[in-house]
Amino acid sequence: MSFLPIFRDIFWLEVAIAAGVFLVIAVLLAVTLYRRRAGAGRPASSRADNLPLEIGYAVGLLGVAIFLVVVTANANHRQEQVQQAARAAPDVARIDVTGFQWCWEFAHRDGPASETGTCAEDPATRPTLVVPAGRPVELRLTSRDVVHALWIPDLALKSDVYPDHTNVLATTFTEPGTWLGRCSEFCGTHHPTMEFWVRAVPEQEYQQYLASGGASV
Amino acid sequence: MTATEPDRTQQDVPPSSRRGTAAAWLTTTDHKRIALLTLGTALVLFVVVGLIALVVRAQLTLPDQHLVSNDLYNGLFTTHGSGMIYLVVTPIAIALGLYLVPLQVGAPAVAAPRLAMAGFWLYLAGTVLIFAGFATALGPAAGGWYAYPPLNSSRYLPGAGQSLWIAGVFLAVLGMIFQAGTVLWTALLKRARSVTLMRMPVFTWSTIATNLMVIGAFPSLLAAMALLGWGRVFPDIFTENLWNIAYQHLFWFFAHPVVYVMFFPFVGVVAEVLSTFAGRRFFGYRATVVSLLVFAAFSMSVWGHHMFSTGQASNDYYSLTSILLLVPAGVEYFGFLATLVGGHLRFTVPMLFAIAFVPQFLVGGLTGIMVATPVIDYQVTDSYFIVAHWHYTLAAGSLFGIFAAFHFWFPKATGLLLDERLGRWQFWLLVVGTNTTFLPMFWLGLAGMPRRLATYLPQDGFTTANVISSAGSVLIALSVIVTIANVVTSVRDRRRPAGDDPWQGLTLEWATASPPAPTNFDDQHPLPRIRSFTPLLDEREREEGEERTGDDPAAHGGLRSGGSS
Repeated sequence: MSFLPIFRDIFWLEVAIAAGVFLVIAVLLAVTLYRRRAGAGRPASSRADNLPLEIGYAVGLLGVAIFLVVVTANANHRQEQVQQAARAAPDVARIDVTGFQWCWEFAHRDGPASETGTCAEDPATRPTLVVPAGRPVELRLTSRDVVHALWIPDLALKSDVYPDHTNVLATTFTEPGTWLGRCSEFCGTHHPTMEFWVRAVPEQEYQQYLASGGASV
Repeated sequence: MTATEPDRTQQDVPPSSRRGTAAAWLTTTDHKRIALLTLGTALVLFVVVGLIALVVRAQLTLPDQHLVSNDLYNGLFTTHGSGMIYLVVTPIAIALGLYLVPLQVGAPAVAAPRLAMAGFWLYLAGTVLIFAGFATALGPAAGGWYAYPPLNSSRYLPGAGQSLWIAGVFLAVLGMIFQAGTVLWTALLKRARSVTLMRMPVFTWSTIATNLMVIGAFPSLLAAMALLGWGRVFPDIFTENLWNIAYQHLFWFFAHPVVYVMFFPFVGVVAEVLSTFAGRRFFGYRATVVSLLVFAAFSMSVWGHHMFSTGQASNDYYSLTSILLLVPAGVEYFGFLATLVGGHLRFTVPMLFAIAFVPQFLVGGLTGIMVATPVIDYQVTDSYFIVAHWHYTLAAGSLFGIFAAFHFWFPKATGLLLDERLGRWQFWLLVVGTNTTFLPMFWLGLAGMPRRLATYLPQDGFTTANVISSAGSVLIALSVIVTIANVVTSVRDRRRPAGDDPWQGLTLEWATASPPAPTNFDDQHPLPRIRSFTPLLDEREREEGEERTGDDPAAHGGLRSGGSS
């Protein structure tokens, strides 16, 4: 299980609700501006309050808020469960990810493989995080200096990366593929080029990668 | 005169012959002048910091551009962001209250005027320090407006500009606490006797909610800056996670409420402008007052939603409190729309800005609910989606509130009307420019563009949206030029005297001269009878009613009258 479906579900649900609310208010506003323009000759109302209506409306809003809170907490818990299940799986691949000014280091616990780079202007200097496709992966994130953040936009994976603290991102890369990863927490001069590649490879290839000490991918 | 008057003889009002000198302005104890000094400084800085944004946009327009170095780019976005927040919108939000609240509550002066003036001087000193960074060897501060450690310790950003920035933010924010305190004091304890709490205009109530947040939350920033200052001398403390996270808590405990400090006064402004040009009382006054206070109280409990992605915050709690804020926000929107629904609408320039605020801020608010949802926040935080979100609240929202206020009260403060035609040009350029600039940023964020990116590559696929965004920023710049031309020609030619009440206003500031006398109300301009939060409308209706039937419509529309009508 990965994060992307959970993000997509709730993102589009909230976009739909937001679009509905926006549309209702925009239409109401437009119609009102037209109908109540001074040229239309309708005198201003002298009414200043309608408490039952306002209280009823506020209670309705509270209902919407509670609905959103429940949906939100639910999605959050689903995501936490995904992570916990992945971390508890017997076949989880553990990888230590270290951010530093200004690049990344990936050290695989299941073999002698580790990889880093310089993240210079030339995209060829980006390191690659190789992960096995189809089984859980636990990324243990820490930093050597300032706060960074690991972000793989296409997979909706993100976590801050702190010095003196380890955050964990646990997920399963279901399909083989290659994605771009970035640093998303501003970290100084070369923040824009602090990128890396993520490659999910079939199990056999991953074993070869580990055995060769990170030489072949 | 029906109202019981407080003492209107202020000892230190200089004779009129000496009121125009620079020395008189710079040592004034008149709340209107202190406010105008603060507002004027903030508007100049708005232009300066806005120009910096244009350099940022120029750099980002096309991929792989290096008009400025990465470090200078970082200095520019830091100055833009922190300048707009600490030196432009927050001071405007607070100083607008300093100008208007004593007038709206019928007070002759602000409480503790010298404290308010000290606030201005601290703010000015802070500004000088922050900009002094440009003159230092390593350039201005470059750590972003929230200045997280350890990056902002002397180990990683050693420049003197960084230290100056910390001191400058400390002073400017301290100054704002002083001004906010005097306004709060005035509204709560210095009102004219007939102005009861529930007869205060919506704007005054919005400043009370605002200034309560300032008093409650801003000291936390002083502590955060002190901690950061400590880290300038002893950077080793930030090798410990505890202090890095502690800083973030201190900072966001200030920095979420400050978002509402930059929002509430403009809710008040929009409410006043909408109801004035709808020719009626703001609908749902009591509900709006309650919602502002509830909103302010809740705002103190949501700061952790800025820390979802730290992996070290209680997501469910902060998500709950953040999403609940939609209730008071929704009540305020109800008031806006309901006021218009029963109105007789005059589309003056301030009215246009106030109307545009409603749907545009809504975009910021609705996307705000999205980012209060942790699983959405994980993906969009620190991306351009967030940049788009808060520019919709601050630029498409608060800035429109600022211009609504500017066009609405400029005649009161100067005695001169601005040009309507230029005002409309400014408005339409700003509407098109703002949306063209900031709407594409939502797409950029979803496409994976992190914020604070000095440049990007052609293969990233960010180019089209960035070109559109930069084109929009040119329109915003044109709008600002039109505004400056409008002010310059209006003040230079002095062709359009405003009179006391050019808009048929509802609240007390329109009962006095433009500009008001040093003591606000005097023998020529006494306080009118005050029986509700719209005393001038009551008077007009009473006069009309007496002409027709001898009836007193204020008895129907006023809040004190119970449920009739």
